[in-house]
Amino acid sequence: MSATTTRSRTDPDTAPSADNTAAAEARPSLLRTLVSSPTVRKLAVLAVIAAVLIPLAHAKWAGAGWPHALTVDVSGPLEKSSDWILDNRDSHWIFLYFFGHISQAIITGVRVVYIALLALGWAGVTAGLTLLAWRVAGVRVAVTTLVSLAVCGVLGMWVPTMQTLALMAVAVTASVVIGGLLGLAGGLSELAFRVLRPVLDTMQVLPAFAYLLPVVMIFGNGVPGAVLATVIYAAPPMARLTALGLRGADAGVLEAVASLGATWRQRLLSARFPLARKELLLGINQTIMMALSMAVIASVIGGGGLGDRVYQALSSVDVGKALAAGLPIVLLAVVMDRTIGVAGERLGAPPAEGGSRLLRGWPAWAGVAVITAVITVAGRLSGSQTWPGGLTVAIEGPVNQFKEWIVDHIYTGVPVVGGTAEWAANYLKWVLDPLREGLQGIPWYGILLIVAALAWLIGTWATALTATAAMAAIGVLGVWEPSMDTLSQVLAAVVVTLVLGFAIGIWAARSARLERMLRPVLDVCQTMPQFVYLIPVVALFDVGRAPAAAAAIVYALPAVIRITAQGIRNVDPSALESARSLGATQGQQLRQVQLPLARPALLLAVNQGVVLVLAVVVIGGLVGSGALGYDVLFGLAQGDLATGLVAGVAIVCLGLMLDRVTQPTARRDRKGA
Amino acid sequence: MATTLAPETPDSPKTGDRTPVFSVRDMWKVFGPKADRVPGSPDAELSAADLRARTGCTAAVRDVSFDVEPGEVFVVMGLSGSGKSTLVRCLTRLIEPTSGTLKIDGEDVMAMDKARLRDLRRHRAAMVFQHFGLLPHRSVLDNIAYGLEIQGMGKAERRAKAAEMVEKVGLTGLERRRPGQLSGGQQQRVGLARALAVDPEVLLFDEPFSALDPLIRRDMQEEVIRLHHEERRTMVFITHDLSEALRLGDRIMLMRDGGIVQIGTPEEIVGSPADEYVRDFVRDVPREQVLTVRRAMRPAKSDEEDGGPALTPGTTVADAIEAVARSGGPARVVDGGRCLGVVDHACLLSVVAGLDGKEAAAA
Amino acid sequence: MATAHNPRRRQLLMAATGVTALLTATGCGAADMSKQSSPYANVGGAKSVTLSVQSWVGAQANVAVAQYLLEHELGYHVDTVQVDEIPAWDALSQGRVDAILEDWGHPEQEQRYVKDKKTIASGGGLGVTGHIGWWVPKYFADKHPDVLNWKNLNKYAKTFKTAESGGKGQLLDGSPSYVTNDKALVKNLDLNYQIVFAGSESAQITQLKQFAKQKKPFLSYWYEPQWLFNQVPMEEVKLPKYTDKCASKGEKDPDSIDCAYPTTPLQKYLNADFAKEGGKAAAFLKKFHWTKKDQNQVSELIASDGMSAQDAAAKWVKAHPDVWKPWLR
Repeated sequence: MSATTTRSRTDPDTAPSADNTAAAEARPSLLRTLVSSPTVRKLAVLAVIAAVLIPLAHAKWAGAGWPHALTVDVSGPLEKSSDWILDNRDSHWIFLYFFGHISQAIITGVRVVYIALLALGWAGVTAGLTLLAWRVAGVRVAVTTLVSLAVCGVLGMWVPTMQTLALMAVAVTASVVIGGLLGLAGGLSELAFRVLRPVLDTMQVLPAFAYLLPVVMIFGNGVPGAVLATVIYAAPPMARLTALGLRGADAGVLEAVASLGATWRQRLLSARFPLARKELLLGINQTIMMALSMAVIASVIGGGGLGDRVYQALSSVDVGKALAAGLPIVLLAVVMDRTIGVAGERLGAPPAEGGSRLLRGWPAWAGVAVITAVITVAGRLSGSQTWPGGLTVAIEGPVNQFKEWIVDHIYTGVPVVGGTAEWAANYLKWVLDPLREGLQGIPWYGILLIVAALAWLIGTWATALTATAAMAAIGVLGVWEPSMDTLSQVLAAVVVTLVLGFAIGIWAARSARLERMLRPVLDVCQTMPQFVYLIPVVALFDVGRAPAAAAAIVYALPAVIRITAQGIRNVDPSALESARSLGATQGQQLRQVQLPLARPALLLAVNQGVVLVLAVVVIGGLVGSGALGYDVLFGLAQGDLATGLVAGVAIVCLGLMLDRVTQPTARRDRKGA
Repeated sequence: MATTLAPETPDSPKTGDRTPVFSVRDMWKVFGPKADRVPGSPDAELSAADLRARTGCTAAVRDVSFDVEPGEVFVVMGLSGSGKSTLVRCLTRLIEPTSGTLKIDGEDVMAMDKARLRDLRRHRAAMVFQHFGLLPHRSVLDNIAYGLEIQGMGKAERRAKAAEMVEKVGLTGLERRRPGQLSGGQQQRVGLARALAVDPEVLLFDEPFSALDPLIRRDMQEEVIRLHHEERRTMVFITHDLSEALRLGDRIMLMRDGGIVQIGTPEEIVGSPADEYVRDFVRDVPREQVLTVRRAMRPAKSDEEDGGPALTPGTTVADAIEAVARSGGPARVVDGGRCLGVVDHACLLSVVAGLDGKEAAAA
Repeated sequence: MATAHNPRRRQLLMAATGVTALLTATGCGAADMSKQSSPYANVGGAKSVTLSVQSWVGAQANVAVAQYLLEHELGYHVDTVQVDEIPAWDALSQGRVDAILEDWGHPEQEQRYVKDKKTIASGGGLGVTGHIGWWVPKYFADKHPDVLNWKNLNKYAKTFKTAESGGKGQLLDGSPSYVTNDKALVKNLDLNYQIVFAGSESAQITQLKQFAKQKKPFLSYWYEPQWLFNQVPMEEVKLPKYTDKCASKGEKDPDSIDCAYPTTPLQKYLNADFAKEGGKAAAFLKKFHWTKKDQNQVSELIASDGMSAQDAAAKWVKAHPDVWKPWLR
């Protein structure tokens, strides 16, 4: 207040007289303004609560870290239930008559698809999928498909690729059906939507890793558990987008359809679904991408296929082998993404004019089927079902040599900037360690208070309550310390990600050339499964928290860059034009117009950055990031439910808390850009 | 208030004792909590603002009664928020009326079950919407055939029928396009064709042309006039545009705040506004284009009954002015060989100047 | 309208019939998960065997040779799945894996599955003896021989310090799935060390190689047989002697262990049904028995020469028919 008035008094030239009077008028009411400002009011309420509760808490449970008296030891009951499950899995009715059938259905499904793929042989599968891509998405995508499949074969990954395809086919179908049905309920019933939405929102921010343990507990290692974990992970985006699409349907069209006397079912099938087709397709696309990424992670619980090859390679530090197995995954992702993307674009457009009639409609589909059949038979006659061994190339050797060369040259002793080993050491010494000590040193109620304040400022009291409760749950479960460790890793990596992401994003928004160059890179990065990032970083950054951070940053960066660039580019051009007409410099335009107007996008970028970083930091347990991620791995590896499940729940709570404190009040409508 | 102006049995120029297509009596549509309690209660008499304050309800249609006669173009006109769009949706129960009676061809619409109501929407009343309401993923032809598809008609048959409609509304050559590739005017032609395809007894138009450019709007109005001339199909036409109402309407119902202000022919509305609100509304209307010599004429003096040009009673004042100016003397108004009266410079001028209405209002 | 609805009703009826038929066919009866095999098994007519391959290279060598012989000599198709040690027992019990070729001793699991539930059968010894311990690089031990006694470890804590270990010395541990008492040992022996878990063996190996390249000192949990010794020569640090008393104490309370790791004869285990009905494959796997030297040869071909597991197995098989011929008899 005094600052304003002083300025207007001492500096009348720069402050127009209107400001002067405004300031003068504002003076008596400033206190009221302060009180009525929601931010200040919320902080005041919190301060009061803190003033009452903190002395109490402090008197009773002083010191940093969560007080031991407030923890609940759940390891006993968890161990008991884990034992019970192991002892009763082949006798109790719930396993025999419920889970057993689910498991059997999944096995049957995967097996049927797998047998079908093997029966088609490499020739049949390649021809069939290529023609399918051509029918749905045109020549360019068909060529991509052909090349991708050929690469899968050439890399010697044909059989694992087919296994992954079989697993994906079942998992994606189940996810789309289940997600679609949930979405249908949410799209047609307001009540269902209100119940579903927060659940789906939350499920989408949870790291894939957290889903593994409960599934393993019931289904054991193997394909059924892997498929189920994948479905749990991949169905929410489908449900969410279906619901949003159905709800977002043009009311005018629906009314017109009703006015023509359509029944409820006609309305749903001929109008609501087609009107939501963009969202449905986007949902399917996201489901596929998430399923693919999960199918890889699920190799930890015996999912088999390409993921298992990556996992095996990861255990023997074989970057070449990991690449050979990772590349097909990336290619599968790119092919499916493109196919659906182009199919989506074509949905709105009319059928292409001209061209032979044979290239349209059912004759074309029949043609696809016939050609595929012919090639399949030809393949069978020539006697090779799986990819011919002579047509493979081993890339492991050269890749590993290249990796060695890179590591040799940038690991250490690079002039001026220092090698990656020095970076890692410095990052640990100057960033992570102080941050971890700080977080573990702050009294527990301090952390709760900070979380509550952040969440309340950005959202509602309900947001704050959720976030604080999630944090408190971590303490109660007795994993406060490792959680603070994980939190410190997440925060540090997020800061780096955001600094880099914003910088590159702003730059890309202003330079069309850079944007063009970045686009394919970002596309590939965003479709790459999280696992693949872990492989090269170990060699460069030593074992520990640094490689996990590096992998997390690389993984989260594309989304942040993309959202930032889009947000800035989508700023209302007229606002920018008016700023330019007033003679604003480039910097002024950016600071005063673009960044403030792009604020929602930037907040979304922060939120996404946090969620993605957490996902990888947790997987970082595989490369020595320790803390919660290691505990989950330990639980999985040792069959130790007490450790693993508690850590899993703690990760869920951390994810929930982080999402809530970075979640702008207006909820985002889709994940990623 | 305004309802008192609604005649109990509105008379139409062209009707004998045929059953009205729509017969609406005491219809209310109230939005808000416990809406069904408002009609008939003391609250019903409150003004819109007071009603809202007292009950939290909004009366979009209040106590409306009117008949739509077979073959006429019945225009409902009012500013936005006057309840006209709600009213037209109530006619096929796209919006459920709160109270009142509603008959189509003498059959009680309010008593219809779901199937019967669907049948009504499928075969008897088709609607054209302001924002077209086309299905973006279907071609023009399939959009037009959509109503027939809903009825369960086979593919070949409905396509053939739709192709006829394409020609009728002048969209030949665009059958395979998607709505997104058409101009606004073309899209509305598709909407019109879709409604026509089911061969409904009555067409309902909800501000169909307000989203179009003025020139295209004019074309479309001509199209509607032409269609009406060809088929004599009953139409209920909602608009907020007075000139459109005057051009198209056989009769116009003027609404304000959910109630009826006046029902009458364009000439009655312009010539004898029921109150200040209507008078204000029609102030800028070129009266000579709307009013006819029937209104402008004075009794003929004995020497005038044989001389001068002859005009029918339906001739607009504008045309009469031309005739009078050419002849230099008064013109006779002749109906079936009988001279009803004459118009001269003075009476035509007084119509243009709006002096004639004064007496009507005073009376 | 009625005509429009009728075919639809018929379709519905047909669908319902279909679903019912399907349910009857699959059997609404019990579906025992512990009897369900991998969907990838026995596809295309080929008899197939699923082997669990653990993450360390020694185990990969076992599996590679077994796979090679099963495929080339006995005509089986072999699937390998990487499963951690303890979940592998569960998978073995459920029949999703047919055999584990190298187990480092899991008494609790043995009790549960072999003795109580009888879903897993012992497949005999592998012939290789495993030993876990703490190791330092030879280049360091040569300069500071006294580091090889655990009592002197605290003296070297500063030397073994890294960024990850804070102020203490770093004891590098590996995969979370490995058998380890290190936490208890550090505590009970009062060592000023921080255990840093590499999270996976690969990460640990990478780290060890990197240390060796820089000639940096390190202290690591490690085990033999292990091919890495050929690349990074290491010497074992002597921990307090392993005794039965210490072992029985540790069985009651794992946190109380304060002595070295035992020497373990590595074991093979088969799924009980597979052991009975697995025919030649099961018989072969039961007879599979080789030495530490054999295993190391294959391991090294895989791990340091960068050969694919199958090529390495082929090379070894070619050179040592005298070893494997008896397994097939």
